[in-house]
Amino acid sequence: MKPGYKQVKRMTTFMRLNHWVVAFSMVAAVITGLYIGHPYYQSFIADPAVGKYVMAWNRWIHFMIAIIFDVSSIVIAYLYFFSRFEKPYKKLIPNKQNIEEFGAVVINLLTLNRKKDFDSTHADSFNTVFFLLFHLMLAWMLLTGLQLYVHGLASGESSIGAWWPWMLHVATDWTIPVSNMLIGSASPTPSIMDVRISHHITMWFILAWIVFHIYYQVWRTIFWKEGDIGIVVSGTKYVKEEA
Amino acid sequence: MADRIEGVKKLFTSKSARVETNRGDAYYEKLFQKCQARIEELKTQQPINNRLEISDVLENHGIERRDFLKWASAVTGMLMLPASFTPLVADAALLMNRAPVIWLELQDCAGNSEALLRSDGPKIDEIVLDIISLEFHETLQAASGHQAEKQLEEAIEHFKDKYLLFVEGSIPMADDGIYGTIGASGETFYDHLMRVSKHAAAIVAVGSCATFGGVPAASPNPTGAVGVMDVIKGKPLINIPACPANPANMVGVIIHYILTGQVPELDSLLRPKFAFGYRIHDNCERRAHFDAGEFVEEWGDEGAKNNFCLYKVGCKGPMTFNNCSIIRYNEGVNWPVGVGRGCIGCSEPDFWDKYAYERPMADANIKAPTGGVEKTVDEFGLGLLTAAGIGIGIHAAASSLAGNKEEVGE
Repeated sequence: MKPGYKQVKRMTTFMRLNHWVVAFSMVAAVITGLYIGHPYYQSFIADPAVGKYVMAWNRWIHFMIAIIFDVSSIVIAYLYFFSRFEKPYKKLIPNKQNIEEFGAVVINLLTLNRKKDFDSTHADSFNTVFFLLFHLMLAWMLLTGLQLYVHGLASGESSIGAWWPWMLHVATDWTIPVSNMLIGSASPTPSIMDVRISHHITMWFILAWIVFHIYYQVWRTIFWKEGDIGIVVSGTKYVKEEA
Repeated sequence: MADRIEGVKKLFTSKSARVETNRGDAYYEKLFQKCQARIEELKTQQPINNRLEISDVLENHGIERRDFLKWASAVTGMLMLPASFTPLVADAALLMNRAPVIWLELQDCAGNSEALLRSDGPKIDEIVLDIISLEFHETLQAASGHQAEKQLEEAIEHFKDKYLLFVEGSIPMADDGIYGTIGASGETFYDHLMRVSKHAAAIVAVGSCATFGGVPAASPNPTGAVGVMDVIKGKPLINIPACPANPANMVGVIIHYILTGQVPELDSLLRPKFAFGYRIHDNCERRAHFDAGEFVEEWGDEGAKNNFCLYKVGCKGPMTFNNCSIIRYNEGVNWPVGVGRGCIGCSEPDFWDKYAYERPMADANIKAPTGGVEKTVDEFGLGLLTAAGIGIGIHAAASSLAGNKEEVGE
């Protein structure tokens, strides 16, 4: 360790594990999701249909990932309030301290690190809000995705019982009119296609989010010189010891 | 906004698309007796205006009673009733002429009337619809102008609060509804509909225009076209969308009404669940090709010759609730996917803008929330990524040019 620096813990083992599960799942979800939206490669035409469930496998992977996301999201939502490490909700309350910190981090980014008036040993308000944005988009993907999925359970039955489609309808039917609003549709009657359009557009917003996320972590690492990029691997970073 | 909040409430309180098909013997026993009593009561009434007897008409068309009974059992199945109801359904069909119907045609192409008539080789569905006591149908009747107006007034007066009102076509609302007027007095479609619907027992909106605005309501919707449910509140309303609506579903709704005196169970878009309770996709004959990833890439290619899935040429079966993959059209002769032409989602709201394009949604131009520019979702997304990339590029370049604070300081 460089003299004059101390090691601080920033992510627990679970948080790091979750990060990588989500990261790889996201890549797979985008690859399979784009195929479902527009099948961009062909299956071998000479093989009989029975031997090559290409679309079926793409959908299977997409749905399995959705379940991983579901579970991860429920845990993350819980940790927002009950984490024994850092409770993110405390950084989201719009009090004076958080707003000032949020502003200070934005200024740090805009002044290209000329000004850095905040404590970077813990999660800052700006990054927490940025992550909240991601979690909200992910939650929206899950809800719209489940809405699209329940269309296939029109009989009201499922392999695990009738409660499942019933619950999905209760939990996600509201995404139809909300999608209609989000995509700015002129039609007075919301349509289930609105959900599909919104689900697809949100993927692009998530991709844009990821691009900025990676850039920002690399930028911090280079300019802050605190080894931020290592957090997601080792769980720790290094900050200058106060003299 | 208020409409949308209403829509959210409706969706929250509506039951899922599920139709309970096994409610137990006791339930069906009770229902059977109820329907039987109603049929007996209707039998005592005289036919209204239409003196045609269905048995005679069927005979004239060379259709045997055996075929008629086969049809009745199919309708029983469609209505999700046990087989024991078949004789009741057959009786109900014979009593169709006891149900007075007024048919309004508004802003549309008369495609639903056309489907109902099917003048070239009518089948039992169409014949049964001939038997209903059609009291007023301006497109079909001989009377016109003041005569027609008088006939309509008489029908409304005579069957006050008893008639079924079928509406075909959308209602133009822009500029006080001047885009559609009817009759000698130049009444707007809106006023016409409001006047006739006032004393209807129930309203049946037939076809996509009457249900959700359909083609006239497609962007940019110059006439401000809307569906019946957007203007009429507080009346029993049944939507039978599709372009055109399937006569089998019209028959199903009327027979249901005759059997029970009630409207059938409806989904959140007021469509009868017996017809719109399941997706086209799940009963599609080409579904195996979808799962296999075998798609028609362009019209007439090798995939098309092998009846591959039409998803990539725009089939919207996976997002469309309708029973055409089961009952098909023209008495089961064929249906769009069967002839190698994907579903255009004609029974869903806003189908012309959001469903009826010959490519998957990901490749279709969607109107931007700002209105003007049409782009595909992927074009928009790539634009978004490019913008993010440019922003990052500028920041990165500026950062590297400016150098690090500490380096400067050292």
